[in-house]
Amino acid sequence: MKPQAAPPSISVIVPIGARRATDIGTLYREYRAGIAATGATHEFIFVLDGPRPEARRQLETLLREGEEFTIINLTRNFGEAAALTAGFERAGGGTIVTLPAYPQIEPGDIRKLVAALSTADVAIGYRWPRYGNAVDRMRRAAFHGLVNFVTGARLRDLGCGVRAMRRQVLEEIDLYGDQHRFLPILAMRLGFRVSEVPARQSAQDRHGRIYRPREYMHHLLDLFSIFFLMRFTKKPLRFFGMLGAATFGVGAVLIAYLGFDRLLFSEPLADRPVLLLAALLLVLGMQVFALGLLGELIIFTHARGLKDYRVEEVIQYPDAVAATDSGSGALPEPPATSPEMRTSAPPAITA
Amino acid sequence: MSGAKSTTHDGNIDAAQRTASAVGPALSVIVPLYNEQESVGPLYAAIVQALAGLDRSFEMVFVDDGSKDDTVAVASGLARRDPRLRIVKFRRNYGQTAAMAAGIEHANGEVLITMDGDLQNDPADIPLLLEQIDAGFDVVVGWRHNRQDKLITRKIPSRIANWLIGKVTGVPIKDNGCSLKAFRAALIKRIPLYSEMHRFIPAMASIAGPRLAQIRVRHHARRFGESKYGLSRIYKVLLDLMVIKTIASFASRPLRWFALLSLPLFALAFFAFGQTVVDVLLMGEDAFSLPIAGSGVIFLGSGLILLCSGALAELIYARGDVRDREFLRLTQTILAGGRNPGADRTL
Repeated sequence: MKPQAAPPSISVIVPIGARRATDIGTLYREYRAGIAATGATHEFIFVLDGPRPEARRQLETLLREGEEFTIINLTRNFGEAAALTAGFERAGGGTIVTLPAYPQIEPGDIRKLVAALSTADVAIGYRWPRYGNAVDRMRRAAFHGLVNFVTGARLRDLGCGVRAMRRQVLEEIDLYGDQHRFLPILAMRLGFRVSEVPARQSAQDRHGRIYRPREYMHHLLDLFSIFFLMRFTKKPLRFFGMLGAATFGVGAVLIAYLGFDRLLFSEPLADRPVLLLAALLLVLGMQVFALGLLGELIIFTHARGLKDYRVEEVIQYPDAVAATDSGSGALPEPPATSPEMRTSAPPAITA
Repeated sequence: MSGAKSTTHDGNIDAAQRTASAVGPALSVIVPLYNEQESVGPLYAAIVQALAGLDRSFEMVFVDDGSKDDTVAVASGLARRDPRLRIVKFRRNYGQTAAMAAGIEHANGEVLITMDGDLQNDPADIPLLLEQIDAGFDVVVGWRHNRQDKLITRKIPSRIANWLIGKVTGVPIKDNGCSLKAFRAALIKRIPLYSEMHRFIPAMASIAGPRLAQIRVRHHARRFGESKYGLSRIYKVLLDLMVIKTIASFASRPLRWFALLSLPLFALAFFAFGQTVVDVLLMGEDAFSLPIAGSGVIFLGSGLILLCSGALAELIYARGDVRDREFLRLTQTILAGGRNPGADRTL
């Protein structure tokens, strides 16, 4: 269906989940106009997260009208992170733009995000000026305050699905579950430069959204897992050890107190229900500690696959005028087109 | 000018790197750098000068740990004139262990030397380390005698830490904090380095049971910049130490470790139940004590769960890809192999 020409420079991935615009045709045309404003060649990839017959019908109508894009249909609802990953596998562009399935920003501002990639590796949209009532504002401030406190980031709109990034970013990040929300934080952790780009909020996004308690719960759990992954991936015992030692300590103090009473005041242990609590705490502390050791064992046995660091580039000049003769001893490096060998340098943006 | 071309065949050393180059230099000098723009030049000159007199090929691997100053620019300027210098640039600051690990990964030499980038180690000591390697040792650790640092904040904590590390790991190293070390590449490339393990490289390496030498090295006072590592790491060191101890002694039989941990619990459960039975038999039903019997149940249950964790640990180890068996092979053949330990390092 698609002509197999040179890969486009921008790949646009639109994950379509439960929350989506009623008319995807209009949304697509708006997005296309916004992307076209960058002046770069582009491709669109729609990822249907689970069976979405309505959305699929609309997209197929567009295809019949002669539009060109790819549709990926996931067999069941895997979540937005999985949808993005699936879309990325088919994407050929050096720049990846993700767009939400409902208008969040004015499509004309997509250009600004792509332009921001000249100085950053990831550009995420930041809806400003932002509409919403006081409750919304407070909720957002609390969530982002917590996230920024925990991760040390400085972000203001994690809920915005408009992101532009270099291909390399998605190649290195391993997204799963609901982690798409924390993509900029994960990218930062890998050493990518992340910038927030203010974009005008779309008129259709201005009505507030009702969050159910369950969603708050999910956000908090996601936050916790991100926090754990960021701080303790390589040192589980630091986390579990702290927790276990504290619990064990409280239990030990209680036991000591009971023993003290028993020996000095002949208060029989048999009449002390606190003994149960002390035993429980003691034992719990040991269990948590053992979990930490188990974690360490997992890390140790898989340490070779887990790399702590990201190398930006390796600089070496094999042809440099050497103090020694490098005759046959020269390193058989891959044939370098330029005398300067640079590996894994960030791909130049072609927009 | 070097006639002594090393011909070690690096077999299947970490495949990630440069599969093409089977022939590397005899020696790699690995230096992690973090904001050391003034030190890089003198350091480079000192290394080259120290090694020029030796009759072996060498390379230098400078790892830039996300410096904020001009370290990379200065180092690139040096690399432009010297093909033996390789610079590995991190995307951001990842810490000294990561820098060491990256340097080790990107080095092609048969013997790897690690040292600090702040000129406190003296490259002139490298030949001394090499002598020990040539004598057949697998790991040579420098020992900063006459250390030029502040007494209270640096020397005393480090002395306590060294004593503790020696006691716990059973590898009595006088100075774990000294970065000037030499390793056989085949050995160190297999040791997993992560977290803040750089302090414990010799202890980690001891899993493989290498022959370890310690020699005195010179130590200079800081010439440029600030010290980047202070104290306040005691808690981390303690936990890391515990991890190493556990891994070094029990990694291959985790069930035993967990069983050991659960033993006191079973003992406590036994006492609690014994007390309950004795009480009830001697003094009748009324003497039954819920707190004591309940504690017994808790201890028993917990002991059982610990045993289950041990079984889980066995499973993890069995499916993992790092075993101490493969470390053992590295040093095993050296005695049988005669003079050149590099030659029979076939896996």
